[in-house]
Amino acid sequence: MTDTRSALIWFVALIGLVFAGDRMFAWALDQVLLRSQFRYSRLYRGGNAADVLILGDSRGVHSFYAPAIEELTGLRTLNLSYNSMSTRIAEAILLDYLDHNRAPRMVIVEVTSTITDGAVASELRTYAGFSSRLSSLYAEGHPYGAFAGRAFHLFPLNSGFSLEALHYWHRSDQDWINRSPMPQALRHEPAGAWSLPRQDNLEALNRIVRVLRERGVEVRLVVAPYWPEPLNVAELARMVSVSVRHVEPDSRILNYAGAVRDPDDFADRVHLNERGSRQLLAIMNRDGVFAIHPPTAR
Amino acid sequence: MRFNSLAFLVFLPLFAAGYWVTAGRLRLWLMLVASVVFYAWWDWRFVFLLLFSSLVDYSLGILLGNERDDAVRRRLIVLSVAVNLGLLGFFKYFNFFVASAAELSRSLGLPASYNTLNIVLPVGISFYVFKTMSYTIDVYRRTEKAERDLLRFTTFVVFFPELVAGPIVRASRMLPQLRRDHRFSYERMVSGLTLVASGYVRKVAIADSIAPLVDVRFAHPEAHNAMSLLIGVYLYAFQIYCDFSGYSSIAIGLARVFGFDFGINFDRPYFSRGFSEFWMRWHISLSSWLRDYLYIPLGGNRGGRLATVRNLSVTMLLGGLWHGASWTFVVWGALHGLYLVLQRFLAPYYQRVIHVLRVPALASDVFLIAVVFHLTCFGWIFFRAGTFANAWQVLSGIISIRSLGLGDIDNRGRILKCVVMIAVLLAFEAATLLPKRRQAGLAAVPGDQVALSAFASDASPLLRLAFIAACVWVLLIFGSFSGNNFIYFQF
Repeated sequence: MTDTRSALIWFVALIGLVFAGDRMFAWALDQVLLRSQFRYSRLYRGGNAADVLILGDSRGVHSFYAPAIEELTGLRTLNLSYNSMSTRIAEAILLDYLDHNRAPRMVIVEVTSTITDGAVASELRTYAGFSSRLSSLYAEGHPYGAFAGRAFHLFPLNSGFSLEALHYWHRSDQDWINRSPMPQALRHEPAGAWSLPRQDNLEALNRIVRVLRERGVEVRLVVAPYWPEPLNVAELARMVSVSVRHVEPDSRILNYAGAVRDPDDFADRVHLNERGSRQLLAIMNRDGVFAIHPPTAR
Repeated sequence: MRFNSLAFLVFLPLFAAGYWVTAGRLRLWLMLVASVVFYAWWDWRFVFLLLFSSLVDYSLGILLGNERDDAVRRRLIVLSVAVNLGLLGFFKYFNFFVASAAELSRSLGLPASYNTLNIVLPVGISFYVFKTMSYTIDVYRRTEKAERDLLRFTTFVVFFPELVAGPIVRASRMLPQLRRDHRFSYERMVSGLTLVASGYVRKVAIADSIAPLVDVRFAHPEAHNAMSLLIGVYLYAFQIYCDFSGYSSIAIGLARVFGFDFGINFDRPYFSRGFSEFWMRWHISLSSWLRDYLYIPLGGNRGGRLATVRNLSVTMLLGGLWHGASWTFVVWGALHGLYLVLQRFLAPYYQRVIHVLRVPALASDVFLIAVVFHLTCFGWIFFRAGTFANAWQVLSGIISIRSLGLGDIDNRGRILKCVVMIAVLLAFEAATLLPKRRQAGLAAVPGDQVALSAFASDASPLLRLAFIAACVWVLLIFGSFSGNNFIYFQF
């Protein structure tokens, strides 16, 4: 056999082996992924019966400590927030949750996620195989990555989410929260102005509110605490409120931006730590936010 | 053009197709033009510098080859060295020397105002200047004949696999290979692709996964505890190793596919039991260049202890400076010079202690490997830090032992992923050190790069397929596809 023919046969065999192994390993890893206790693995595995769902970005993660909500209210809670998760992505996550699980009784949306542009979408490719919504969101921002993911099924598993899923293989990720106090250097910085909501996120928030109301699910739109309170937080809350009233005239924004005042309750300027979260949740509970009836505006 | 870019994925098959359907001078032209395109992809303006450097040394080589008068030959070689070092000095070191001179004046209380120039460092200049300079020196020494074919000589200088980050392939190795046509060989292709695949795994899966973990620690050392910084330094040791040895493997593998033999550039350096051994295993093409064209001409170890210390120190200081125009690189070189000197003086005492205490050879080897690795890591702090202040922040953060707990460390999952990949890499390298493998003949072809290609040549077809397929799977699931540059591009 000539060297050229050997090389051709070798290449064909290599391509066949690469694709066969890709499909086989990807299938096996998907099974591993789905058995994890990581929040999105739980979502797509289905069978959850949470009373309260939390949606938001990292502020959603660190403001609404799920174990504390359960202790305070007795309501089963699942926090689906994640760092840099925009409201558009939260919408896809929520709709997928409703497709795979029993509808919750209440959804809390941390509305400052409307300023987020959705960098976490690249991570969500890991679960794109289980969701056409995530798949199209990922393809929108990463057309080459989406193509690579269609060609090679292992590629979507190349993400931090896969590592998280392995890390939380046996134990829940719902106790994930900052626990250290804010460094001294950050405590004396003056208040600044934050970005304002993006139109696409406001539209997604409107759709979230509409879908939940149609299903009879209580919605709480909350601004979680900052240190110090941003100069333009009232404007942000007003923009969200004006937008949401198009679909739900009775909607109120529960503005807790300045509700926690001790810097020891924060991990940094935008994230509470566990102590701060517990304090916020106690205030919210006292305000009746977790009661399954329309909340009192603050 | 980078090896880890989409453009290269298009470029390579096109070049390969053209290469195998051409022969003779047409093939040389193809290699030249393709290499120029490869280089121009980064910045076309510096192609002229590259060609100028080739033309100067080609001409001086011929003049040296023709000239019999030693005095004239000496002037010609001085001219060649001056032009080469002049190019390097201007593009790489001009601002550094001007700023350092001004700093010195200021520290002496003299008035010092200076202007630096906005000079772009041409990619690969340190590599191709050393390559052409060694050619003229070899012709001057009459160990190499002058190349009279300008096309062949220029192709030797610009051949794309090793153009921008080595290995520094000398004329004595490369020119004879350019004088004949290489026929397509299935064995060489498989062997070469094995090296290429392993190189991509090192670069894209290991080095690029480590990079952000290291960057964040060196950018904000104050935000990390002692354990986190220590992890950052260890990870950097493997980042730079995998980045550079990955590039070398890809370059050597590609050359092998096309019929060329570049030699090896890395040979399991972190298993070295001493620093002279380390430098025979790390960036071999540079360390042998410095040995042959700097250390030995300075006198090597022939002039007594003091002269040896001086020669080692000068060689390593300049070797450090070769890596970059910064005093941190000089300190890195000086540290390695110091290590070499200390080893030279302490080794006999160490051997005596080992003998008296009857320490088993394996235990001694493990101890020495650990010592060499940690001292190397200490040097890497200066190599990686942009400034002394940054290096000191990292060092003081480690020394302070603020916290040695793992609890507060971010990205533990990503760190664990890197550690696992490094462990697999080291296990593979350690396997080639086993006595049984040595007896089987691998010792005759030491080195991770050569051991791999020996594996590719000797293993069964299925095993070879499986190895490369496994590399592809590892790349898919662990690769970082952000298109990071190779670290040695900056040198």
